[in-house]
Amino acid sequence: MPIRLLLRNLFGHPLRAILTVGSVTIAVFLLCILMAVSRGLDAAVAQASSTRLWVQSSVSLFVSLPNAYGSKIQSTPGVEDVVRFQWFGGVYQDTSNFFAQFAVDPKKWKDSYPEIEIREGSLADWQKSRTGCIIGEDLAARFGWKVGDRVPLIGTIFPRSDGSNWEFDVAGIYHSNSLSIDQMTMFFDFQYLRESQEQNAVGGPDGVGVYLTRLAPNTDPDGVIAAIETEYENGPQAVRVTTEAEFQRQFITMLGSVPTLLASIGGGVLFAIFFAVLNTMLMAARERTRDIGILKALGFGNAKIGGMLIIESLLICATGGAVGIFLAKSAERPLWSAISSQIPGFEISSAVLMLGISLAIALGILAGIAPALRARNLQPVAALRLGA
Amino acid sequence: MALVPLQYNIRSLLVRSGNTWLCIFSIAATVAVLAGILSLQQGFETIFASRGREDMVVLLRTGATSEGESAFDRTRAQIALNEIPEIATDANGKPLASAELYLATLLARKDGGKTNIPLRGVQPATFAIHGDNWSILDGRNFAPGTDEVVVGKALRDRIQNCEVGDTLRINVTPFRVVGVFESTGAYQTEVWGDVDRMRAALDVENYSRIIGVMRPGTSVKDLAKRLEGDKRIPAKALSEKEYLSNQTGALTRLFTFLGAFLSVIMGLAAVFTGTNAMLSALAARTHEIGILLATGFRPFAVFLSFQLEAALLGLLGGIIGVVMVIPLNGIQTGTTNFATFTEVTFAFRTTPYAITVAIIFALLLGIIGGAIPAYRASRLTPTQALRRG
Repeated sequence: MPIRLLLRNLFGHPLRAILTVGSVTIAVFLLCILMAVSRGLDAAVAQASSTRLWVQSSVSLFVSLPNAYGSKIQSTPGVEDVVRFQWFGGVYQDTSNFFAQFAVDPKKWKDSYPEIEIREGSLADWQKSRTGCIIGEDLAARFGWKVGDRVPLIGTIFPRSDGSNWEFDVAGIYHSNSLSIDQMTMFFDFQYLRESQEQNAVGGPDGVGVYLTRLAPNTDPDGVIAAIETEYENGPQAVRVTTEAEFQRQFITMLGSVPTLLASIGGGVLFAIFFAVLNTMLMAARERTRDIGILKALGFGNAKIGGMLIIESLLICATGGAVGIFLAKSAERPLWSAISSQIPGFEISSAVLMLGISLAIALGILAGIAPALRARNLQPVAALRLGA
Repeated sequence: MALVPLQYNIRSLLVRSGNTWLCIFSIAATVAVLAGILSLQQGFETIFASRGREDMVVLLRTGATSEGESAFDRTRAQIALNEIPEIATDANGKPLASAELYLATLLARKDGGKTNIPLRGVQPATFAIHGDNWSILDGRNFAPGTDEVVVGKALRDRIQNCEVGDTLRINVTPFRVVGVFESTGAYQTEVWGDVDRMRAALDVENYSRIIGVMRPGTSVKDLAKRLEGDKRIPAKALSEKEYLSNQTGALTRLFTFLGAFLSVIMGLAAVFTGTNAMLSALAARTHEIGILLATGFRPFAVFLSFQLEAALLGLLGGIIGVVMVIPLNGIQTGTTNFATFTEVTFAFRTTPYAITVAIIFALLLGIIGGAIPAYRASRLTPTQALRRG
C-alpha cells in the first residue's frame, strides 16, 4: 500500500482536512452530550433505591400531609422507619441562585441514605446545633461555602414574621455515591422549622410535605403501598405512595417532549454531517482522478487503491471522533455543575464515549467506500485523459 | 468597478448541483433546529408575557415569587378585597376584586403518566374582571357554591376526564365537569371552580392571591409602594403583565440557552461544511476565475462575487430550513413551567420574529463559510489560474 502517498494526500489540503476533522469532532461531541443527557434522565430512575417509598398527598406535592400520619405509617407492617421531608423553597439572594432545601429528621435521614457520605463535618456536628445544615459538594463549590459558614435564605413559603432572613450554619458537606441523588441540595433539621412555626415567628403551611418511608429488609413494597394508600383512602388527605423509581420518573415526565426533541436533534446532526463528510471524500477522490489513473497504469490493484481511500477517510473521521470524545469528556464537569439539579445522572460514561468513537469510525469506513467504488470502475486511460 | 454578473453565480450553483444541495442542506438543518426552538419560545411567550393587562393588579404575600407560594388568610383577604381604594368598583359599588386559590394538582394524562395541572378556585368577581377575555366554549359555567368545575380548552385533548359530564376527583371530593372554557394566555391550561368549595375539598385554609381592576388614574406602582409597608396587609402588588413575565423567566432562559448552544455548535459544523464545499467548487473553477481576472474584473469583484454566491446559498438554506419548520406551527406541546411546577400547554409559533432571526442566521452562516474561499479566489493571478485550470 502506498503509505507515503496516502499521507501526502492527507496533508495535501490541510485546510480541508482540518475542516472535515472539525465537522466530525462537532458531530461526535454533540452526540455524546445529547446521549449523556438522555441516559442521565434514565439513570436517576435506574439507580433509585428499592427500599425507599415516598408518601405524598394524592392531590400533589404542594399539599402537606397531617403531622399525625407519621406515627400511623410507622406502625404499618414492613415499615422500618419514617422520615419527615419538607420542601423549604428558600431563595439565596436572588431567584437565579436556585437550589433545593429540605427540612428532614437528621438521624433518620442519614440512616435511610446509605449512598450518602458526610465527608466534612459529621452527623453529630449537624445535630449539635438547631440551625445546622449539611450541603452537597457541588453546592459548596458553587457558592464557595465551607463548614462553619452561615447561609442566609429568604423564606418564600415560610417567611419570617419580622421580615428577616433565615440563617443556617453549614455543619457538614456530603458526597453522593448514587446518580439518583444530586450534590446540589441543602438539608436542615425539621425541628428548626417546626419550632420556629410554633413560636409564631414563621408563617407557611404546617404539616409535613412528604414522608420518606424505609422498608424493612425483604419486604414487598406493593403490600406496604396498598396498606398505606387504603388507610387514608377516605381522607382527610388521600395519599399517593410511590417507589423511589416512580417518584423520580414523575419529574422526568414533567419535562414533556424535551427528551424526544433531543433525540431528534441528535439524529438530524448525525445525518447532516454524514452527508457532508461523504461529499468531502468524494470531492477529494474526484480531484485525484488523474493520480488514481497513474496508480492503476503502474499496476496497483483495486484493493490497494480502494484501501488507501478508505484508510484516508477513516483516519480523518477517527481523528475527529477522538477529539470529539476528548472535548465531551472535558466538558463533563462544567456541564454537570450546570444541570445536575435537574439531571443528577448526567455522565459522559465510557459507554457513551465508545459509542461516539465507534460512530466516527463507522462513518469513516462508509464515507471511504463510495470513492473506493468509484476508483474501482475507473479505466486508467479515461482517468489519465479526463483528470487535470 | 465592474461587478461579476450574478448570473455567473447562479449558473455555477446549478452546474455543480450536488455540492450546492449539500451546502444548502447542512445550513437548512441548522436553521431548522434554531427556528424550531425559537418558535417554541415564541409560543410560550404568547401564552404568558404578551397577554398580561396593565390595569389589572395581582397581590401576593410579601416574599412570594409566584401564586403557588403566596398565601392570604381570611382576614387579610377580606381587607384586601374591600379596603383598597385604588381598586375600581362595579355598577353596584362593589369592588372589582377577587380572592383566588391556586394549587398544582396531579391529574392523569391521556398518553400515560400524571402531571401537575393548575387548579384555580375563583370568586364570581373574577369573571367580571376578565370580561370578554374569558368565555365558555362548551357546556356552561360552574354554579357558585357547588362541586362543579370548568376546564380550559387546552386540557381537553391532553388530560383524562376533562370532557363535559366527566368527574374529576380532587383529594376525596368528586367534582363534576360542566363546561369547557376558552381564554387568552395560560388560564386555558387550568381547571376552575368555586374557591370555597375547593378550599374545603383540599383542606386548605388560605387564599393564594387577590386580583383586582385598577381605578382609572391610579397606578399599580404607587399601590405597590403603599402596600409594601402596610401594617394590616403587607403584600406585593404587581400588574398582571409584570406577574406573567416573571413566571416565564426560567423556561425562557432554558429555551434561549438550548437555542444558542445548539445553533452555535451546529452552525460551526455548517460553516465547516460550507467552506469545504466552496473550496472544492473553487478548485474546479480555477480556470474560470483566471478568465474573469484576465478579462479585466478586479480581484475585489471576484471576492464579492464568491461572497455573494455563498450568501445566496445561505439564504436558500435558510428558506428551506424555515419551510421545514412551518408545518410545526400550531402543534401543541407541553412542558413544565418551573416557576410553579405545573404543566403548561403551548403551541409552536413560527412568528415573523422567529423567521427573521433564523434567516439572518442562515445568511451569516453562508457569508462566514464563503469568506476563506472567496478570499483565496481573489488572490489568484490570472496566469496562475489559467495555467492550473
